[in-house]
Amino acid sequence: MLRRHFMALASAASLALGAGAATAQSAPAPLDNPGDVTIALVRYLSTGDFFQAYLSGVETQAAALGVNLRVLDSRQDAALQADMVDQAIALGVDGIIIQHGLTESMRDAAQRAVDAGIKVVAFDVNVENDAIPQIEQSDYLLGKLALEQAITDNGASFAAGYVYVPGIAPLDRRHVAWEEVKAANSGITEAARIGTLDNPIANSNANQARAALQANPNISVFFAPYNEFAKGVKIAADELGIGGDLSIYSADISTADIALMREAGSGWKATVATNPAVVGEVSVRALALMLTGENPGASVIVPPTLITQSFLNDENIRNMEDLGSKMPQFQHADVAMADWMPLPTR
Amino acid sequence: MSVDALKVNGLQKSFGKNHVLRGIDVTLEPGSVTVLMGANGAGKSTLVKVICGHQRADGGSMTLAGHPFDPANAADAIRQGVVTVHQSIDDGVIPDLDVANNLMLDRLVERSHGLFVRERHLRAAAAKVAAEMGIDVNLRARVSDLSVADRQMIAIARAMARAPKVLILDEPTSSLSATEADRLFALIDRLRDQGVAILYISHRMSDIRRIADRIIVMRDGAISGTFDTAPLDYEAAVTAMLGHRMTDVDVAVQSGSGPVLELSDLRLTQGAAPINLEARDGEVVALVGLLGSGKSRLAEILYGMARPASGTVRINGENYAPSSVEDAVAQGVFMSPKDRGTNAVIAAFDIADNMTLPFLKSLSVGSLLSAARQKTRAQEMVGQLGIVCQSVSDGIGTLSGGNQQKVMIARWLLEPAQVLLLDEPFQGVDIGARRDIGRHIRATATGRATLVFLAEIDEALEIADRIVVMNEGAIVGEHKNQNVDLAALVANISGAQSTATGPQP
Amino acid sequence: MNDRFLDFAIRYGFLILLFGLIVYFSLAAPGFFGPLSAAFVLQSVAITGILALGVTCTLVVGGFDLSIGAVATSALMLSAYSMVILEHPTVVAVFLCLGMGALVGLINGLLIVKFRVPDLLATLGMMFLLIGLQRIPTQGNSIATGMTLTDGTVAEGTFSAAFLWLGRHRFDVVIDRLLPMPVVIFIGIAVLIWLFLGFTRHGRLMYAIGSNERAAALVGTPVNRYKIAAYMISGVTASIGGILLAARLGRGDIASGNNLLLDSVAAALIGFAVLGAARPNAFGTAIGALFVGILLQGMTMMNAPYYTQDFVKGAVLVAALVFTFYLSSRRSGAGH
Repeated sequence: MLRRHFMALASAASLALGAGAATAQSAPAPLDNPGDVTIALVRYLSTGDFFQAYLSGVETQAAALGVNLRVLDSRQDAALQADMVDQAIALGVDGIIIQHGLTESMRDAAQRAVDAGIKVVAFDVNVENDAIPQIEQSDYLLGKLALEQAITDNGASFAAGYVYVPGIAPLDRRHVAWEEVKAANSGITEAARIGTLDNPIANSNANQARAALQANPNISVFFAPYNEFAKGVKIAADELGIGGDLSIYSADISTADIALMREAGSGWKATVATNPAVVGEVSVRALALMLTGENPGASVIVPPTLITQSFLNDENIRNMEDLGSKMPQFQHADVAMADWMPLPTR
Repeated sequence: MSVDALKVNGLQKSFGKNHVLRGIDVTLEPGSVTVLMGANGAGKSTLVKVICGHQRADGGSMTLAGHPFDPANAADAIRQGVVTVHQSIDDGVIPDLDVANNLMLDRLVERSHGLFVRERHLRAAAAKVAAEMGIDVNLRARVSDLSVADRQMIAIARAMARAPKVLILDEPTSSLSATEADRLFALIDRLRDQGVAILYISHRMSDIRRIADRIIVMRDGAISGTFDTAPLDYEAAVTAMLGHRMTDVDVAVQSGSGPVLELSDLRLTQGAAPINLEARDGEVVALVGLLGSGKSRLAEILYGMARPASGTVRINGENYAPSSVEDAVAQGVFMSPKDRGTNAVIAAFDIADNMTLPFLKSLSVGSLLSAARQKTRAQEMVGQLGIVCQSVSDGIGTLSGGNQQKVMIARWLLEPAQVLLLDEPFQGVDIGARRDIGRHIRATATGRATLVFLAEIDEALEIADRIVVMNEGAIVGEHKNQNVDLAALVANISGAQSTATGPQP
Repeated sequence: MNDRFLDFAIRYGFLILLFGLIVYFSLAAPGFFGPLSAAFVLQSVAITGILALGVTCTLVVGGFDLSIGAVATSALMLSAYSMVILEHPTVVAVFLCLGMGALVGLINGLLIVKFRVPDLLATLGMMFLLIGLQRIPTQGNSIATGMTLTDGTVAEGTFSAAFLWLGRHRFDVVIDRLLPMPVVIFIGIAVLIWLFLGFTRHGRLMYAIGSNERAAALVGTPVNRYKIAAYMISGVTASIGGILLAARLGRGDIASGNNLLLDSVAAALIGFAVLGAARPNAFGTAIGALFVGILLQGMTMMNAPYYTQDFVKGAVLVAALVFTFYLSSRRSGAGH
């Protein structure tokens, strides 16, 4: 919907992807008549760039399929989210995407939807149900790829700062990668650990990172596996005047992050990200496969992409759209596909 | 022979050193309305609180219908048949419920009442109660939407649902209009006929004339008069209430020079009698009247807090109609309000800040306050009024009541006034401070007109050149403070007749 | 003897505690003591401190402003919107934000004095309103240069160097590039509000309103005007905080600002205890903000985990409130 600007680029990109022929085949029932099909997106989290982008991916893929989409947003109210599943059942939708939520509150609601004959997929929430495929961005891989790049850049021996808030599922999974890398490389030491989710997150983490960097001047690498964390560390490094000496590795990306990574003398060396819009598209495609009777598999993993500072500079990438066009694997993930599946036009 | 409903024998009550009730004997008879009169601080409210169980007496005894009566708390008193309707009506009703629920509330609280409210039943029962009491309102109306009088009626009806032996009404007409009061009196007549003993506390002479079967007067914690032979001697009752120990203060009466403040045909409220009054330069005029006589209203109008219904005010010949307190102060009309605790004292401030509060502008350079100038001015006033304090930087709370009041008066003597209004300046003030304040007010009177609003006659005799009596929103008498005919003065206050020993302007 | 000790404890207890903390951290955490560290502590408290000074003004008139956090984040978004999307120059963006803060304060004040809405409720409503409103123009997205707009165009504006200077410039004091601009602004506002509340007749009248509104009105104080002014000061200082936040972050980041609100209210309340004032005051608020900042900086340098921070903030606040309300009441009781 935002993309008139990129029509020219998009046609080239879609040729390269081989997706241009997607509409050649007619879809199997019931998607041969998609106007009669309604799917529901039941959300737990919605505030923030990531969730906004995810929603736009769901919207564009649903539009490409031609199905009706209803968005039910519980705004972090777990009980309401479960009620919304029941609401969707009552509305007689054909498929439901559960986006985030708590296992405890969603397990029974998801089962009720399955019992009602509705196809369900879940993104980033484990509803403990064999009939429901999990759509995942691999947080473990996000952490792993970023740390491998850190070792490539800095060797296997450095004092590191680390940003971590336990109890947040994606951060916990990224933490596993950090623990593995530390165990495998005795030269890597964790000199300081900080982290807070106080709003505004970047500002609060900048205050903490500054104190940590000041107390531990030997830190040369900071692993900040969330873009708001990385932004905070970068602010602190710049304020300390050591932006050029510190290397920051993170996860996730946004237009603003691209600008920060490309600033002259920026210490933000690399980030690893899954395009949330792509995750949204994959969620819809997996559900579409189920509607036609195919099985997308128990878990559908959207692979992450490594994005380095030098790549951004070399390709002169300014925003997420540039990134998508210059890095096709970031614009589209080749999972949950079928010959008949129409893809969003780009 | 009927047994007395309530008998009070030798009741004693002290708060610290303050002996509030000094052996009170009162008898209330069934089917009779007893009016209790008394000035502020006479001990009326303490007596009521003891009878209705809010406070325990230190000594003495009470009997109810011949049996010993010593309520442990308010609920106990109600259970035994002594019910009180307090001055603030909303204590007696639940504003957010409708009339029917309010009337039936006491029954809903009873344990014998089932779990569920039977709506139709409740409304039928409520309708019956309303009819018995002569209350004619929509039972579904929310009480908060009703007039004050209707709310009062409902509070009383609720009280009557308990079939009390004794009903105490504490200043029930203080916020009612004349027609509303008439409806209340009709209800009281009906209750009297039903054999309830009623204790009615009021200052309003018109009320008292209307319903009193007998009058008990309290003064300084003791009964100063009982009147129960018809026709009741209302003037004697007022005399007993106010007392007038002759004071040893000699007032050199001034008649003042030119007129400063002139009120022409000023009506305090719609339908009130017009007021004409003149106050002259250098003159101290005391406006005396009971609670509700309209003197507070007059003070509010002159100080820009309320508007008159009609009429004009002139100061030095110029029309004066202040739009706000700020405006009044700007035009040179200052007022020291009554109840200094709520209306005047800034508890967080020291003496100098409290005193100079209205005139900070003239003590500032630009916007920046000059603490030195504040202190100097405050120090001057401390000397002139004999305020006892260690330093003007002490907190106002460290001062005694009399000294606090001196600070509040000094506040308005810092700059010259056209008209100075003092509302109950001697409230909560010991005799020494009272003399100091009076002397200083008189000594500085030249250059302004001074109006002092008072309830007590002896206070007026101490400070005024002229005493103007108000009753029911009108001026009913005027007396030069020279060989005052006290009997006539008291008669004016009680509203018996309209006389004047001074010239009527 | 005992009374004098109590008096001393109330008056200087918090300052002594502050001094003790500095000594302790200097010994325990290498690198804590020094001009650089001091500048960092000041920087970390500058923005909440500025907000706290505004809320102090509303506390002085006996009110409260719950909307300051939302005003700050709204100013953050507005400055980004103004510069990145509308491509306004710095001066326009700054004045837009200040004007927005003043307007919000005016509306808060009018709601409270004209429409008689209780202060907590009026500013709570305003808080929600602003949290929603700041996201409407961008449909919930953060604002950054290069973002694609709803009409398909790309936002070409940038945060100007002059604007970023407000949040990032450092003055050379003792050592080069030491004192950050937000700290200078914080100290400037603190001095201004301290002078205003403590030494002008306007400040004195505002304290009078807070202590006894009726008495203040009866000496002819325009109570309503002063109350509205207090909320406007609060709105403007909050918008200054938002501008500095935007300049530090360099983007229009959607955030609720709840932590800004809570931290600044905590600083203002801790300020009650400083010098035994037992009432809101600018000096105390600044010290209160500093106190929290020093504590958090020291703890982070000693590797204390994040969740201990809230705990410590809470403990300091409770201790300060005990100082203020219990000890002060005992002192005034003993004074009679």
